[in-house]
Amino acid sequence: MKNNRFKLLLIVVVTLVSVWSIWPTYRDYELSKKLASFHSSADSLKFAIDNRAEIEHAREKSLKLGLDLRGGMHLVMEVDLFDLIEQKAWNKDARFQQIMASVRNTAANSGENPVELLAAEFKKQNIPLSRYFYDIRNTDQEIVDKLNKESQDALVRAKEIIRNRIDQYGVAEPVILTQGSRRLVIELSGVTDEVRVRKLLKGTAKLEFKLVKEPEALLRAIESVNVMMTEVPAAPAAADSVASAPAAASADSSASTPVASRPFGKKLSEVIGVMKNGMVFTPEYAHDYVASVLSREDVRARLPQDTELLLAAKPEVTEKGEKFYPIYLVKKTPELTGGVITEAKATFGAQDSQPEVTMSMNEEGTSKWARITGANIGRQIAIVLDGAVYSAPVVQSRIPNGNSVINGISGLEEAKDLEIILKAGALPAPVRILEERTVGPSLGSDYIHAGLLSLVWGFTAVAIFMIIYYNKAGLAADIALVLNILIVISVLAGFSASLSLPGIAGIVLTMGMAVDANVLIYERIREELGEGKSLRMAIDAGYDRAFSSILDSHVTTLAAAFLLYVYGVGPVQGFAVTLMIGTGASLFTAIIVTRVIFGLLVGKGFMNEKSFG
Amino acid sequence: MRIFQKTNFNFIKHRKVAYAISLVLLVSGMVSLFVRGLNYGIDFKGGSEVVIRFDKPVDVHVLRTIVKDAGVNGSVKQYGLGNTVLLSTDAHGETASLKSLINRALGDRLPGNHGEVVSIQAVGPSIASDMKWSAMKALGAALVGILLYVGFRFEYKFAAAGVIAIFHDVLTVLGLFSLLGGLFDFMPLEVDQSIIAAFLTIAGYSITDTVVVYDRIRERLRGQKTSEYERIFNESMNQTLSRTIITSGTTMISVIVLFIFAGPAIRGFAFAMFTGILVGTYSSIFVAAPIVFDWQKRSKNAIKLRGA
Repeated sequence: MKNNRFKLLLIVVVTLVSVWSIWPTYRDYELSKKLASFHSSADSLKFAIDNRAEIEHAREKSLKLGLDLRGGMHLVMEVDLFDLIEQKAWNKDARFQQIMASVRNTAANSGENPVELLAAEFKKQNIPLSRYFYDIRNTDQEIVDKLNKESQDALVRAKEIIRNRIDQYGVAEPVILTQGSRRLVIELSGVTDEVRVRKLLKGTAKLEFKLVKEPEALLRAIESVNVMMTEVPAAPAAADSVASAPAAASADSSASTPVASRPFGKKLSEVIGVMKNGMVFTPEYAHDYVASVLSREDVRARLPQDTELLLAAKPEVTEKGEKFYPIYLVKKTPELTGGVITEAKATFGAQDSQPEVTMSMNEEGTSKWARITGANIGRQIAIVLDGAVYSAPVVQSRIPNGNSVINGISGLEEAKDLEIILKAGALPAPVRILEERTVGPSLGSDYIHAGLLSLVWGFTAVAIFMIIYYNKAGLAADIALVLNILIVISVLAGFSASLSLPGIAGIVLTMGMAVDANVLIYERIREELGEGKSLRMAIDAGYDRAFSSILDSHVTTLAAAFLLYVYGVGPVQGFAVTLMIGTGASLFTAIIVTRVIFGLLVGKGFMNEKSFG
Repeated sequence: MRIFQKTNFNFIKHRKVAYAISLVLLVSGMVSLFVRGLNYGIDFKGGSEVVIRFDKPVDVHVLRTIVKDAGVNGSVKQYGLGNTVLLSTDAHGETASLKSLINRALGDRLPGNHGEVVSIQAVGPSIASDMKWSAMKALGAALVGILLYVGFRFEYKFAAAGVIAIFHDVLTVLGLFSLLGGLFDFMPLEVDQSIIAAFLTIAGYSITDTVVVYDRIRERLRGQKTSEYERIFNESMNQTLSRTIITSGTTMISVIVLFIFAGPAIRGFAFAMFTGILVGTYSSIFVAAPIVFDWQKRSKNAIKLRGA
């Protein structure tokens, strides 16, 4: 009896803790309902201000819904560590390029650490890493360690920068996690403009100031590319890069150019025009093709030493409404890079009130910028962001104060996003989106509805079945079941885990499995009663003898759920978590709670041999 | 209320029939796996899935042509939530461009019935192959883990037969997914992460019923002659028949509720669980215990018991 009192106390404590943990969720729901019920917005604002502390507290502590239920974006991004490794190499000969290409290929299908893959490939070819990286005296292991350190730093830095950008954009409670050696998992709830967010996250924000070459050099460069393209059939390689995602590719260009009529393999001269003043441009429909040609390694190799051809970020619009992208030949080595930028601000230009971003530089940048502008008066300097030329103003005079301006921006929104990414800093290496799951809020509310329906029906069906089949004992199992669900939800809320649709499925499934323990016990009790034992003795024997099977089945289910949690990703983990909590809790509810209930009822004479159905 | 009270089925006598049924199930499933293969979801093969919601009901055939004309290679199905359809394609590039392409095509061709993209999921091939690996690792680890646990708790013949039963259950469900994949419009039976979740849950759950039967057999075998084994096996299975079926039954109730109410995203999972529990219950009576019996009969020695 003393033992029983302790158990009773335990149950009361568990119940109270659960209710305490769920209480904010209930209050949050009530308060939200109340806020929505006011007729005028002034009333609801007043209520919100008066009860601000409570509303915020309730919201913070309440059960969080998963992205699939409240709408949002789930992204897996990969930091291109190969790009970083390439940046670190001081010698990039053909052999090196070839090895990098082959390692990139291998890495595309495995989650292995790129540095290890690279080291393995070098070892296979019997080339010391020091021929390309760091100091010639370093051993392979030293270089691998250094590169690993650089990669780790790069991932951490990328995470910080992306967090910075998201914070400035303003998303509530973003989740950003690193996964493995080169991936970031990002969860943003309630995002409405995915296109903008995606752009914001992906932009490397590599800002460079590059000298523009004279028009004659540009024409000569274009001509040499043309000559080269007649020598080599260019079509396959160029077509390949675009055709890999047919649906997406056709969407990139304007609607008027269906896939089939895209000018694959055309000579550059057919899609490029030259104006009298020496400006070179390409029409909008050929932009992607020209971009793919210009990014090819063999084309780049043809250009004069230390130069590259770049496209403008934004087209020029003629009077007829036709759009043309200017092409520039610039010095490859930048005069100055974005690292010197200390401040960026989106504003409107004084003269034409077009959106622009003004930037100021640190001391080092200011003195360099003064020297560069002073030495190049009358020449053009291109402002290049992530490989696209935003503007290429002619230097009018020496700029002593370290100010510069990016114009050529299409809207204020873009200017604001530029400001954000310039301030947050450049990513150490480019990032790619590998996986994206976006759920709109309307679909989310459908899922919530479906989840609630299955919870209600699942509970009702299981509860009614237990009462019909096991009578009063079934009722006891149902009470335990309620406590079980309460515990699952309270643990989720207490540990700020979020509830997703698979999570709800886990709860519903747990309901069916939790009563299994009771079924085993009750069947055993019936058997003991059938052998003529007294009620008390039958109950004791039933609990004791059923325990070993119950333990076995719970351990195996827990193990399976745990593995699912370890190896699963995203949505499936939500299912695994609720299944684990539910199964664990049912050891307590189905065994201890029901037994205490029986102890009380039998003691008071409310139960007899017929109570087990 | 009581069902299955005082039954007296001779399970052991008819075990050969059950073996034959299991063999047919397994073989046809395996053949289908080799011939038809599995219908992988985007989690494991990469690609995109787009859910589009319309104001009014929409004809899937019309939509198919519209999507095809727009240059998107993919399949269009009813999604089963209001007026929604599911478009699946292999494209895993920019979802933004896919979305704008769809929006433009729908705006042009279905002006009277506004369609909105409510969800996009895109999985790249490298992530997909990673997920496949993880899934295999999880399944492998689960089976090894359960084998170790059951081996630790029961005599090795019991443990091995229990794990054979698990394999039997998981492979049968896998075979069913291969056989029935793509046959039903309301449940495509694609193998994705949620199905792996179902397999793992089945693996964990399959042993539940088996353990119940084992426990009773073990309890009654103590100190009995080997000649009595057939009677004891049969009696034990009949005595536990009620609880074996009722425990599966309550879980079955949950799974059916999920199938009906939890929406299209969960339906494949619920179907896998449904068949898994069904096959799991069957196998604990007709596969696991009979294998132990046959194995013991061959070895001629009395079963050495250990554990509780």
